Amino acid sequence: MNRLLTASVLALATALPAQAETFRWSATTDPQTMDPHAVSSAPVLGFLNNVYEGLVRRGRDMAIEPALAESWEPLPDGAGWRFNLRQGVSFHDGAAFNADDVLFSYERASSEDSDVASWFAVVSGVNVVDEYTVDILTTSPQPIFPDSIANWMMMDSDWAAANGAERPARDTENFATRNVNGTAAFMLQSRQPDLETVLVPFDGWWGEVEHNVTEAIFTPIQNSATAVAALLAGDVDLIDPVPVQDADRVNASDGVHVLSGIEARVIMLGYGHDHETLLSGEDNIFADVRVRQAVAHAINVPAILQAIMGGNAEEASQLVSPAMRGFSEANAARPAYDQDLARSLIAEAGADGATFNLSCPNDRYLNDEAVCQAVVGMLAQVGLNAQLETMPVSNYWPELRADNYDMYLLGWSPGTFDAEHPLRFLVHTNGERLGTWNFGGYSNPRIDEMLPLIQSEIDPDARQAMLDEAAAIVQQDAVYNTMYVQPLLWGVADGIELTQRPDNFFILRWVTMGLPVE
Amino acid sequence: MLSFILKRIAQSILVLLVVGLVAFAMFRFVGDPVDTMLGQERTVQDIERLREVLGLNKPFFVQYWDFLVRAVQGDFGISYRQGRPVAEIIIERLPATLELALVSGLIALGMGIVLGIFTAIRRDGFWANFIMSASLIGVSLPTFLIGVLLIYAFGVGLEVRIPFTDITFNTGGMPIFGRGDTRPVFGWVGGWNSGLATWDGLQSIVLPAITLGLYQMTLIMRLVRAEMLEVLRADYIRFARARGLSDRAINFRHALKNTMVPVITVTGLQLGSIIAFAIITETVFQWPGVGLLFINAIQFVDIPVMAAYLMLISVMFVGINLIVDLLYVAIDPRLRVDGKTT
Repeated sequence: MNRLLTASVLALATALPAQAETFRWSATTDPQTMDPHAVSSAPVLGFLNNVYEGLVRRGRDMAIEPALAESWEPLPDGAGWRFNLRQGVSFHDGAAFNADDVLFSYERASSEDSDVASWFAVVSGVNVVDEYTVDILTTSPQPIFPDSIANWMMMDSDWAAANGAERPARDTENFATRNVNGTAAFMLQSRQPDLETVLVPFDGWWGEVEHNVTEAIFTPIQNSATAVAALLAGDVDLIDPVPVQDADRVNASDGVHVLSGIEARVIMLGYGHDHETLLSGEDNIFADVRVRQAVAHAINVPAILQAIMGGNAEEASQLVSPAMRGFSEANAARPAYDQDLARSLIAEAGADGATFNLSCPNDRYLNDEAVCQAVVGMLAQVGLNAQLETMPVSNYWPELRADNYDMYLLGWSPGTFDAEHPLRFLVHTNGERLGTWNFGGYSNPRIDEMLPLIQSEIDPDARQAMLDEAAAIVQQDAVYNTMYVQPLLWGVADGIELTQRPDNFFILRWVTMGLPVE
Repeated sequence: MLSFILKRIAQSILVLLVVGLVAFAMFRFVGDPVDTMLGQERTVQDIERLREVLGLNKPFFVQYWDFLVRAVQGDFGISYRQGRPVAEIIIERLPATLELALVSGLIALGMGIVLGIFTAIRRDGFWANFIMSASLIGVSLPTFLIGVLLIYAFGVGLEVRIPFTDITFNTGGMPIFGRGDTRPVFGWVGGWNSGLATWDGLQSIVLPAITLGLYQMTLIMRLVRAEMLEVLRADYIRFARARGLSDRAINFRHALKNTMVPVITVTGLQLGSIIAFAIITETVFQWPGVGLLFINAIQFVDIPVMAAYLMLISVMFVGINLIVDLLYVAIDPRLRVDGKTT
């Protein structure tokens, strides 16, 4: 579980004398841009959370808390949301933050060049009420709208205009690609793409400083063996991730330890629901719900977690992990591991001995290929003959889009940290904007009917009831066979306190260095 | 001589065209860049629009032709991952790879020739046999493993106790990743940032250069030894001995000179492969050269960067071959007779 900072450690941290502390960390990928609206990927958004801020932000426990907005409330009749902005906030260059910057950031982030425009699909307009009040109008009631914009970062309109960066640049470069003018606790001091990015604290930050970092240096290290060596040698203070197979060794070494947590990402198996035939030309056995249920019963998830994940993950019963909002307690149990039941279901469906293809990426999820190999073995024990086909992820998505699979592996991390997110992308009938990752073409009128209701239901209990119903349908129909929640493993030098969030964002302002090593 | 050079240049251009064609054909199997470029919440329209913008929906030969036309003008396109001109990125990264290749080439050549001569002259001595056996390790271990072993031995460090004492010391402390501090040395476009100009940079290059040069060093050593033994058996060496020339004069003036032709060929060709194979070493040591750039490009399906890198490598190989051919002619006068230059 997450090791959250305790109050006592916090008190200790604030009592520490100010001293020069350089913090060095590395991850496998370099954020490809510093533009907060150009690329919607976890490495970019996670990194930029240290230099830019949104109206709201997520705390250590992922809950939404005030940032550049001090408070917000729904407008009458579900017309949208009113945000009351914080006063006295300035950007890194000294310019003041006000409602015009919110309007500008909305226009920029929702423009066609933006990769985050989908967050604003429900927004019909933004009204500047006064200098520190903004109304965001929505086409329908949006109960979780503030949650969905936690990564929508505010840019200074004057700075963008002065530097020709009014629109995000995705296929080319503009001033905002390598320069930052945010409001957050850290400023960008220097940036060499792919090599080194240096951040320093922003003196004029409005918030209360909890860290004691005076300089932070980020270096991407792709090779995991090198990253582990760099951590052991003391060249870096944090590496993300530690390979699962190295976790025990890192923990056994002096001066470093592994911080392990549970990521938001649920790993599951998907099926070609709407396929007439398997790739072999035989009838599609996965069109029969009994076969899909049999697969769920045939897979020994605890064994996978023990043998492949080193005991570092948790079983998943539904499309979101228990840490997400809207998790269905009523459906918290994963189908039991029961080979006899699986065999009898397969016999009933007449699928005994069927041969089919299992597609799997080999560089996308933690130990993805090994997990698929284990799945193949477990399916063989109940009489299903899966032929494993693995490939790099850049080949994988085109194959799935082209329907070249019978069964496939998928991981899903809900961007909104809400159970509605996977329903929208993975379960809703495949269409222009909805169901865009529903490769198997599953379609259920009840889910399609409920989704808009879930999206606009203000009452939390009524909303949860619908999410429970949807989770039950997904589970009974075995739309996906959810297996486990992927673990997060960071390697950290001793004497450093930090917070690991399930979204795998590394937040620099929660770092305290130079603590006594116990 | 001139017609020889012109002919070689024409051949070289043909080779480049073929390499480019093969590379472009391969990119279809590397994957589709649009999935890595767009976020989780992309729609089908987003995918189609991006395809249109990148020209990926055009027929294969049109894409290849467009690439060639622009490449001739020095425009290698915009990197999909970084959004910057590829030519700019490559110029920025090339010094790192060239410095690494140069240093490891020097190590390989220097050590290879010295050890080769030594093992040839003292062919039955203990140390010569020891070096020969040890060199087997150099050729048989994969570069990746050598790099990781060096990192653990000299970066992370091992506790070593001096025998019969209580004194222990740690073998680590060498930089593990990156180039260390760099300093601009030439003021051309983008500048040449050299790591060889700073102490930190010099330290940083040691482990990667040894990793990269080890295989070449063994190769050169074995080649020098074999050639030298061959030459030492030749009649003119026997006559030289009979004339009472000193061992030193025989070994270094007569024998060594005649072993150098094949050594130059191999060294020249190896310099190309040092640069090309630097990919693995650069990945292990996070060395910010073009090899690492290429690996990143493959993962992201950054086709403009991959295409430019492959063209660059093939230009280099073709160029090196040309130089080697010219050096032959310079060293061995017999080849100067017209018609034998190929």
